[in-house]
Amino acid sequence: MGRETDPRCFGRAIETVALNSAEPPTEHVAEAVPGQPDFVWPTPRNAYVHVPFCRHRCGYCHFSVLPGRLDLAEPYLDALEAELRVLGSPRPVETLFIGGGTPTRLPPQQLGRLFDLLETALPLATGGELSVEANPEDITPDLVRLLADRGVNRISLGVQSFSAPKLRLLQRSHDRRSACDAVAMAAAKIGNVSIDLIFAVPGETPEAWRSDLATALELPITHLSTYSLTYEKGTEFWSRRSRGEWVTIAEEDDVSMYRDARQLCERAGLRQYEISNFACPGFRCRHNLAYWQGRGWYALGPGAAKFVNGYREVNHRSPTTYLRRLQEGRSPVAESERITPTQWACERAAFGVRMLDGIDLEEIRRDTGICVATLRGRAIRECVERGWLSVAGSHYRLTDAGLLMADGVATAFL
Amino acid sequence: MTEHIRNFCIIAHIDHGKSTLADRLLEYTGTVQKRQMKEQLLDDLDLERQRGITIKARAVSMRLQLDGQAYELNLIDTPGHVDFHYEVSRSLACCEGALLLVDAFQGVEAQTVANAYAAMEHDLKIIPVINKIDLAYARPEEVAEEMHQTLGIDPDDCVKVSAKTGVGVDELVRSIVRLVPAPGGDAKGPLQAMVFDSSYDDYRGAITYIRMMNGTVRKGQKIRFLRAGSQHEIIELGQFVPGRKPCDELKVGQVGYLICNIKSLGDVHIGDTISTTGNDAAEPLPGYDRPKRMVYCGLFPSDGQDFSELREALERLAINDPSFEFEPETSDALGFGFRCGFLGLLHMEIVQQRLEQESDVDLVQTAPNVTYEIITKRGDTLTIHKPQDVPDSGDIEEFRQPIVRCNIVVPIEYIGAIMKLAQERRGIQRSQEYIGTQRAMLTYDIPLAEVIYDLHDKIKSATRGYGTLDYEMVGYEAADLCRLDILVNGNRVDALSVVCNKADADRRGRAVAKKLKAEIERHMFEVAVQAAIGSRVIARETVPAMRKNVTAKCYGGDITRKRKLLQKQKEGKKRMKAVGNVEISQKAFMAVLSGGEPEQ
Repeated sequence: MGRETDPRCFGRAIETVALNSAEPPTEHVAEAVPGQPDFVWPTPRNAYVHVPFCRHRCGYCHFSVLPGRLDLAEPYLDALEAELRVLGSPRPVETLFIGGGTPTRLPPQQLGRLFDLLETALPLATGGELSVEANPEDITPDLVRLLADRGVNRISLGVQSFSAPKLRLLQRSHDRRSACDAVAMAAAKIGNVSIDLIFAVPGETPEAWRSDLATALELPITHLSTYSLTYEKGTEFWSRRSRGEWVTIAEEDDVSMYRDARQLCERAGLRQYEISNFACPGFRCRHNLAYWQGRGWYALGPGAAKFVNGYREVNHRSPTTYLRRLQEGRSPVAESERITPTQWACERAAFGVRMLDGIDLEEIRRDTGICVATLRGRAIRECVERGWLSVAGSHYRLTDAGLLMADGVATAFL
Repeated sequence: MTEHIRNFCIIAHIDHGKSTLADRLLEYTGTVQKRQMKEQLLDDLDLERQRGITIKARAVSMRLQLDGQAYELNLIDTPGHVDFHYEVSRSLACCEGALLLVDAFQGVEAQTVANAYAAMEHDLKIIPVINKIDLAYARPEEVAEEMHQTLGIDPDDCVKVSAKTGVGVDELVRSIVRLVPAPGGDAKGPLQAMVFDSSYDDYRGAITYIRMMNGTVRKGQKIRFLRAGSQHEIIELGQFVPGRKPCDELKVGQVGYLICNIKSLGDVHIGDTISTTGNDAAEPLPGYDRPKRMVYCGLFPSDGQDFSELREALERLAINDPSFEFEPETSDALGFGFRCGFLGLLHMEIVQQRLEQESDVDLVQTAPNVTYEIITKRGDTLTIHKPQDVPDSGDIEEFRQPIVRCNIVVPIEYIGAIMKLAQERRGIQRSQEYIGTQRAMLTYDIPLAEVIYDLHDKIKSATRGYGTLDYEMVGYEAADLCRLDILVNGNRVDALSVVCNKADADRRGRAVAKKLKAEIERHMFEVAVQAAIGSRVIARETVPAMRKNVTAKCYGGDITRKRKLLQKQKEGKKRMKAVGNVEISQKAFMAVLSGGEPEQ
């Protein structure tokens, strides 16, 4: 009997399809889920737009970017317009996140066109969150005015550090002064400012890191995201590390820097609400919460990943391929995966547990019809026994020890 | 009666173009039409095609009109790799002639010599064939001279062909007809047929491959396997062309197959003789030596619950491969599994690959070892298939290991490198002969344990790929051996024990501990790895505890990527075995093989 006729194949949970065909761009319509006729995937109420332009590519960056190719700004906006057209009718959203790359690299005129396109296709609901990523060196009074005028009510600045040698190592082109000025300018006009900081770079001491943190926490920010330097395959930093040019810092220093971040933020009134995220009360990033809570979202632009009607799809990572495909009327999607309600339930638990509030498996069961507590009972118990998870009824939360082992906990839920 | 039948095989060193020549012969004789042709047609196992090697012997019958006369040519294809040497000797017993195929560039290689001698021992007519003469670097005259020097073959007898382009195939076919003797035997004598192989068909049961020695066998006839003593009725018989083609009878000299409603291949003994059921039955033929298992390893299911599934998978595989054997084994560390015996390392790899392709069981395999013999103080002789069975040194009078004679053919500039390598592996040189002006054959007696794991690879890398190796068993010899144990967090892991030379023990112990440190993933606690001989610890390494396992950045675009990564890691864990509370990966179990190299 051939493999094609093997009935077991139909029940396969994961089917990743590499799309390379001449298919026109389409949106997956809601399909019935076998065995669960009443099951409905959530309607996306969030959207992400990827803008690939950047001044240059930093050594740690693995995102889809086009350093120095602003000549492609108009073709990019044309492509985005074509991709938005697939949505058909306007889709109102509660959060819209414009990230990159560096969206603010777009000249004012193109930036204006970007907002025009998005306002039509993805209108923001009243009280909605509109975030834009920016680099400190791009922040000018004109820019913040433009952003504020177009309804941007949250700005995320890629500060990464205030120390000159560390910024040089990270290949960032701003300095302490311009970073502080940028925060002040953005705070004055937009109000809700988040900054990113990187720690555990080669040679960094816990003292130096605490000084970066102290500087950040004195600024008028409402939100802080902070990450231990990650070496992504394919980046310059990755090859430097594998060639032995760089000595990564000791794991215990990494752990102690993370602990410092948690402690200093807490003292400054920024409560930790996710593994790498801290916010003043009322200023959690609603857009990112939607990811962790497993909601649906639209995503547009090169390399953008969306979750619509049970399909997880990723656009082609190469900006030029993305442009070409849309110019030729083809779908920009490079990978498409249809997930099952079971997978969705497990993912919601695995990624939801990153939030310090934790997850409620009973709530997930209500939404998905899947009881993760039963499905992964043994692995979950192990995490509890190891002291990584605390339980209250159907509610599970990472413990302090579990925060450092979150991937192990996520694996248990998957 | 038999004067127009020619039975022959092709013997060659691996990669000298045996399967390609078989393809050309099939095409030349019109057995297979050109449009149906695919490469290496006779290699029908997926694995054979993937790896470009022949594992199982095969028979194919070809019809030929030559100068107005019809001939039947029966080709028996054989594997080239040293592991499957015994299959070669089986085919030889069914033939009157052998094509000794040698690559026009590579020249005479280690297995060329071994196979040629085997054919001579069977009194076969050898037709020397120099293949790949279309290659730009072909040096057919020199190769003919090499064959003359090493094997005493007259250079004028060599047929020069290109199996790839078909040049010379016509002359080759004529040589086969002219030179290979017609089979002997008596057409009127009692039925006597040699069982030279078997295979299994899901719908028809066992397919028995036979070579007719005397008499005739017919469809519907009752026959008897003389050695096994079992009787069967023939449901179908025929020849391979190359698919099965039924006919009504097979006569003396012919090669073909029988189907008799035999449910298990275990009931068909290779080397058995088929005759009639009555009192007039023929005498049994001499038969074959049973294949020798040279290498053993443990196979354990990662999940103990898969034990019976693994047993079924092994049974299924053994049906088609009688050269592989297995018996249940219990390990303190790994639980219930099987100790399996193989013809060699390639054979082991193939069996493991087939097990994984054909069943769903995740396997943990222990490092391969050879069979040792131990004479105890009490005078008993123990046969040791696994290192953990080695008794305490105080109980051992003599520790003996298998020695093989290795023929290594190399270009002369690499003689020094090979001598150094052979000495490191405790080889004792037996001879050195020159093959032509450029190459030499070195003969060493080397402990099999030093050969099986990577000697072939090492020879290849020391000679830029030009060196070749063939070996045969010589016997057992006493040596200064000991059991090296590995302790993980203080507990001896029996499946990680190895036997090694006492003089090497310290060096190997350190190397293995170091390798294990690298292979054992970090746990939530510190893991100590120690190497010990008896109660003496000779090396220690520590795997530090894991402090942190968390992805810092995890947003919309990371979810799919991250989930796949975590799931992959989870899959990886499946191929781990928990020993106490330490998870040990498949790779770690193979790590004990490291440390054979001298320290720099």
